[in-house]
This record gives sequence, structure tokens and C-alpha cells, in this order.
Amino acid sequence: MKFMMIIKSDKMTEAGAMPSEGLLIAMGKYNEELVKAGVLLAAEGLQPSSKGARVRHAGGKATVIDGPFAEAKELIAGFWLIQVKSKAEAIEWAKRVPFDANGPSAHRAGVGEIELRQVFEASDFSPDLYPSSEAQELMKAEGEFRKRTNT
Amino acid sequence: MRFMIIRKADRETEAGMPPTEALISAMLAYNDEMIKAGVMLEGAGLQRSAKGARISFSGGKPTVVDGPFTETKELIAGYSIIEVESKDEAIAWIKRWPQLDGGGNVQLELRQLFSPEDFGEQAVEQAKEFERQRK
Repeated sequence: MKFMMIIKSDKMTEAGAMPSEGLLIAMGKYNEELVKAGVLLAAEGLQPSSKGARVRHAGGKATVIDGPFAEAKELIAGFWLIQVKSKAEAIEWAKRVPFDANGPSAHRAGVGEIELRQVFEASDFSPDLYPSSEAQELMKAEGEFRKRTNT
Repeated sequence: MRFMIIRKADRETEAGMPPTEALISAMLAYNDEMIKAGVMLEGAGLQRSAKGARISFSGGKPTVVDGPFTETKELIAGYSIIEVESKDEAIAWIKRWPQLDGGGNVQLELRQLFSPEDFGEQAVEQAKEFERQRK
């Protein structure tokens, strides 16, 4: 099973503050453990929403609004993608994210939240649901892309 | 520059109904265009929050709360990571997101990603080591 461990934004991440050295080291160690256990598939940090945009599609029209966006808890600041055997195992990893004196929420030691979300995999899309040759061709192409890029 | 296109959750994604064949074909065709243009790096769809959990830390101690979570606009339903020359190019791609998705009323967010270089030499080394192990 694949899970995404999501860290939400807060005032610090939205202000574009770079992590402290202590936080960098703590996160580096945690990432290293994930790699050694063979569970890490990807990890990314997001820049402040001021560098982003929102695109709303409505009635066939796309409207672009540049960031920043005010509601920090609706924003994500980073994520890990992990491969585990069960939701319980994913929860164990989430519990070990270093929310200590060094962060990730470095301005509020020991406080934070991880959102854990299960990720769809190819096996969730049964060919019975999508029998058309077009859908099957496209699924095959996507599968080849994932294999090639190891994602 | 790498950007993440975030597809926000809505009532339908949270209900856990499988996408129609027309929608899945439209999404896969869109992804395929980005793959052929060499823009697409990775992407995933997320299952409804009912299958997830939140782990809150207070005083460094974790507390687990199982989903579902009700504030749909705080949730994400999927993402794609793309590599482009500029934010404008990323916006041009995101504007072409299939109109079938979300019944033509989909909410998308574009966010620039950090690269290991932004966090110094050690982060760059760690990223290289990770890439090596992945292959």
C-alpha cells in the first residue's frame, strides 16, 4: 500500500522561512531511516503559496489567481510518499516525524500534524470498470511511464 | 523549475465513487500529453479521507484520529509533478486540465517545489544517494 504523509503549511512556511540547522538535521535523519527501511518513494517540500497560483475551472472557463493564499491550513507545505504493508505501519512512521524542539514546526516546539492519505494504485482500477480499448491503451501507456520512471 | 499541480478534493472524491470511463480516459490522455512533452515527472490520486488518518502532535506526543475529515476544501484528491521552464508554462498546462473533471468545476492549485540545492550540500548528497538506491 502507498500512503502520502502530508505536512500542512503554517505562518513560518508561508513566510518563506528556511528551516533551522537543527530541523534540517532532524529531518535528514528521519528521511535516512525511511530510505534504509526501503519505504520511501518520494519526498518534496513546497515553496510558499506566494510563488504559486490557483486555477478554477467553471463552466468550461479557467480563471487564474496568483498566490499568496491566506488560509494556511488549506495549504500543504510538504509530503512523503511511502510504501508500506498496512495503514498501521504508515501510522507508526507518521508518529515518528520529528516534531520535537527542532520542528518541523520549529516556532512551536512539539506541536504539529501529519495527514495520512492512501494513494490509488493501478490495481484499484479494475479493467471491468474501464473496458473500452481507448481506456485500456491509455492505462497501458501510463503503466509503462510509471515503470520507466520508477514512480 | 518543478511545480506540483494539486487537485483539491470535493464531495465526489470524498464519496469514493470510481471515476467514469470517460473521465479516466480524459485524465489519462491529458497525462499522456504531458508525458510525451517530457513535462510530467510523477503523479498520484488519493483515496477518500475515510481511508486516512491525522496524527496530531502536542508536547511532542502523537494522537491518532482516523478519517473521514469533513472540511473538504482542506483536503487534496491528487497531484501531478511537472518540470517546466516558467510559471507561465505551468499555468498553460494547468488550464488544459480536462473539463470533464469535477463536472467542469474543478479547483486546482499550482505550487513551486523546493530542490535539494535549496537546503545545502548535505541535502544534495542525501538526494543523490536516494536516487541511486531507487534505481
